[in-house]
Amino acid sequence: MTQSNWRQIMPTAEAYWMNRVLYDIHHVDSHLQRYKADPDAYMAEVPLAAAMKAAIRDNDIGAMYLAGVNPLLLRAHCLGLRISEATFVASLRAVVHDSTGEASHG
Amino acid sequence: MAEIVSVHATSHTPVMINFPGAIPDEDRERIFAGFRQVGEEIRQARPDAVVVVSDDHVHNFFLDNLPAVCIGAAASWKSPVEHWLKIDQHELRGDVQLGGHLITSALDSGFDPAFSMALTLDHGTLAPLHLAGIAREVVVVPVLINCVQPPLPPMKRALQWGRLLGQALRSYGGCERVSVLATGGLSHDIATPRMGLVNEAFDREFLRLLAANDDARLLEHATHRVHEAGNGAEEVRTWLVAHGVADGAAFDTLYYKAVPAWYTGIGLGRWRTGSM
Repeated sequence: MTQSNWRQIMPTAEAYWMNRVLYDIHHVDSHLQRYKADPDAYMAEVPLAAAMKAAIRDNDIGAMYLAGVNPLLLRAHCLGLRISEATFVASLRAVVHDSTGEASHG
Repeated sequence: MAEIVSVHATSHTPVMINFPGAIPDEDRERIFAGFRQVGEEIRQARPDAVVVVSDDHVHNFFLDNLPAVCIGAAASWKSPVEHWLKIDQHELRGDVQLGGHLITSALDSGFDPAFSMALTLDHGTLAPLHLAGIAREVVVVPVLINCVQPPLPPMKRALQWGRLLGQALRSYGGCERVSVLATGGLSHDIATPRMGLVNEAFDREFLRLLAANDDARLLEHATHRVHEAGNGAEEVRTWLVAHGVADGAAFDTLYYKAVPAWYTGIGLGRWRTGSM
């Protein structure tokens, strides 16, 4: 894969819905409160696979990056949920590139 | 007809506002002095309005409706949209007529902007104005170009937009003096495994090509090397818009330094327009 600033040039439907969750909880205060109270219940009707919902719920920053979540929303998620800078950067740097150039979760 | 009395470009990372102490005092003081210089030059140019070319960082726009370019036309703008940005919320003054003129001029010239009369502007617009000390003084017409979510407008389109905006401003009869401030970049990566890496070589070549007025090589560099400089470097589109507005005027780098502790190559520049 040629080096790129972006995981996806056109977002997948999965990336859209992951972005949707992050956008809503960090732009509508009532959504953030509902999400923090019970993330599984908040995402119950969101058409995402269980693994992707778990990545959001568990703050798996690397997995969200690999799934194509917008970097600004990922950054807002870090700031909004007060995820430490060290944890945030470490999760991203744990994403490693294999011999084909494709990024994977290390 | 209006005169373009100043054209500047600066970085806009919110880290400068939120974590000023993350870098050595000497560097921070020089960078902040550079912003104050830009502010003083804009103040001395006495603009009736400042067209601020920046990007929306997925606040006003989302994947359900994300314009390549959006021009704002309103009497005032709320800012900042980010609750975490350490600048007090306040309103910026706007200019409905000038914003409307840019929108209709663009449409008449074969460009297709979105427009908005109710943006809540983010750090991209506010942070440089704040650091320059002019946020509460100037009238702001925002032009937002998508630099944050692919598919992105090509670099060459940014330069074309700049030429179009320059023509539109010079044909405007509603005021006499207009400034342009582009904000964003230079190299940086947000929320990727490369976060914290700065590509000084990319930045310095970009600044050199602006000064050389070599548009073909400038576009080639921006288009083909941006992926070596990080997703935040996609914001050099705003500098290309300013370069197009300046229409061949000489460019000076006012300041540049790679500042990894702020995750960013910090750049400030000026095109010699008006009395500059």
